[in-house]
Amino acid sequence: MENEPALYSCPGHRRRARARTRCLLAVIAATSACGAPASDRHPESAPTAVRIVDDFGDTLRLAQPAAHVVSLNPVTTEAIFALGAGARLVGRSRWDSSPDAARQVPDLGDGLQPNIEAVLAARPDLVVLYAAAANRAAAAAFRRAGVQTLALRTDRVADLARVLHALGLALGDTTAAASVADSVQRSLDAVRAMPRRTRPVSVFWHAWDAPVITIGAGSYLDELVVAAGARNVFGDMAQPSPQVTLESVVQRNPDYVLAGPRAARRLRADARWQAVPAVRAGRILVVDTSLVGRPGVRMGEAARALRLLIDSAAGVRP
Amino acid sequence: MTRARWSLLFVALALAGVAGLTLGPVRIGLGGVLRALAGAGDIQTVGIVRDLRLARVVLAVITGAGLGMSGAALQGTLRNALAEPYLLGVSGGAAVGAVLAVVAGVSAPGALPLAAFAGAAGAVALVLLIARAARGRADPRVLLMAGVVVGAFANAAIMVLLAGAGEGTVRNALWWMMGSVSGADWRTIGWLSVYATAAGVALVAVARDVDLLALGEDAAAGLGVRVADATRRIFLLAALLAAITVAGAGLVGFVGLVVPALARALGARRAREVLLASAVVGAALVVGADVVARTVRAPAELPLGAVTAIVGVPFFLMRLRRTA
Repeated sequence: MENEPALYSCPGHRRRARARTRCLLAVIAATSACGAPASDRHPESAPTAVRIVDDFGDTLRLAQPAAHVVSLNPVTTEAIFALGAGARLVGRSRWDSSPDAARQVPDLGDGLQPNIEAVLAARPDLVVLYAAAANRAAAAAFRRAGVQTLALRTDRVADLARVLHALGLALGDTTAAASVADSVQRSLDAVRAMPRRTRPVSVFWHAWDAPVITIGAGSYLDELVVAAGARNVFGDMAQPSPQVTLESVVQRNPDYVLAGPRAARRLRADARWQAVPAVRAGRILVVDTSLVGRPGVRMGEAARALRLLIDSAAGVRP
Repeated sequence: MTRARWSLLFVALALAGVAGLTLGPVRIGLGGVLRALAGAGDIQTVGIVRDLRLARVVLAVITGAGLGMSGAALQGTLRNALAEPYLLGVSGGAAVGAVLAVVAGVSAPGALPLAAFAGAAGAVALVLLIARAARGRADPRVLLMAGVVVGAFANAAIMVLLAGAGEGTVRNALWWMMGSVSGADWRTIGWLSVYATAAGVALVAVARDVDLLALGEDAAAGLGVRVADATRRIFLLAALLAAITVAGAGLVGFVGLVVPALARALGARRAREVLLASAVVGAALVVGADVVARTVRAPAELPLGAVTAIVGVPFFLMRLRRTA
């Protein structure tokens, strides 16, 4: 419950601007029963009770759509904006930088083992968490403090439709959720339907170099590579981000090495990486890590970018 | 030590080296390895053998020899078979120095060992101060306690330093703290071998002091050793060697403990002999441990520090039982 003396007066606050925004949102929520404001798209005018079982197995119950949301996962933050509910965000994690408007949302720190007090201080009625074991204690703490939580796993392509549906229910706009999920699916299918290459292309995804970490079969990036019509040379490894020896990269001899811009510069300059034929031959493809890194609403765009990147390189190959 | 036993040591080192050069995901026969070492054969095989495998073997040799000699010098001077850089907090201090340098943005391969050395020297001073305050410099338990305290403090200091660092720095630092020679590159190896050779030669040159100090401080003073100076010099050289290994391969525990004991078991008695034998045994042990680290779970890799700990901890418990 709000401790502030009155809902409509804004008490003196160190961070005045933020406090004012919060008051404004409270007013909107309070008046929404009289007439839905234009910024909030409620499919039904009467508030509906919502019941969602999340990926922690916790049950989320909302008498009406969440109005003050903290999202501590870049994927869900981006999805909430895609659902047209970005204005309801009162906090995000420090990693959430997409879309650009997300940067205007207050940064509440880490998304794994978040700062409980900082999140509660933003007075959310719903906290959206990444469903990792490290966040179980935080979810329990929020619920004890009377704040509802929605823990969602966002690891694979298939997770997104479920995540969008759950967010749509919590935010009271399942129509928007279905339409976003549908458009992501269609853009992904369009990339998958692109003509097969005459010659198969294998890639090594460089995730880190000390130690060398790549992507395995259990990862979203492996799915993205496959969607882009290529083969991940470590696609046989069950772990999502296996750590491998540099020599095993040499042995698996990928046609291309995919790396972020900074990593690509490091690889080119590192004598040890020259043992990898693709690196020595300059077949390093620089990927836009901010686009392809996360299984969010832009995954179709990411798959297309990856496909075009590989196609353009494969086209100029002798 | 007999000539036969010295030969045995070098054969063990050579075998470990051959294993390090021939084993790996890419199958290259001994003949192919030798040709690649000479620079012949296809460019990829040469790259694998020279830049990946040989660099690792050489860094493992430096690490093992450095830790072995450091442990031998500390054990001799402290008259304590449980002394070793990792348990005495010296490696931890070196890690603080190195992490501080990395967080501050210093990454020159020549500067990192110096930063690690500053940290290691600080840790030695702290351990000795704590032990002296408890009036138990010769008591192995007090020294080990002091080492554990300094090591724990070093860990805490590293956590504080990393709390404000970027995600990449943290991941690098954690991997490096588990110990590994996977980052071996020739430029770093060049710097490390210069420092290690200088410290190793200096330590062998003061080996006579180690022998005399092992007789007890009074006896050593009676024989003309300036005890405080000699002790400080030996500790600093031992700390420098440990720091070099930390800068190159992170925290590799228990090598400094196991190796001098093996050297003595092989018949090394005088400090000079123990130091030299420890260098060879340490090199062979770490090269072998690295082969294990990168082959048992191939294509994944285990941290080298985990492998040496698996060997070292039971050994430590055995020694502790004997000392107690």
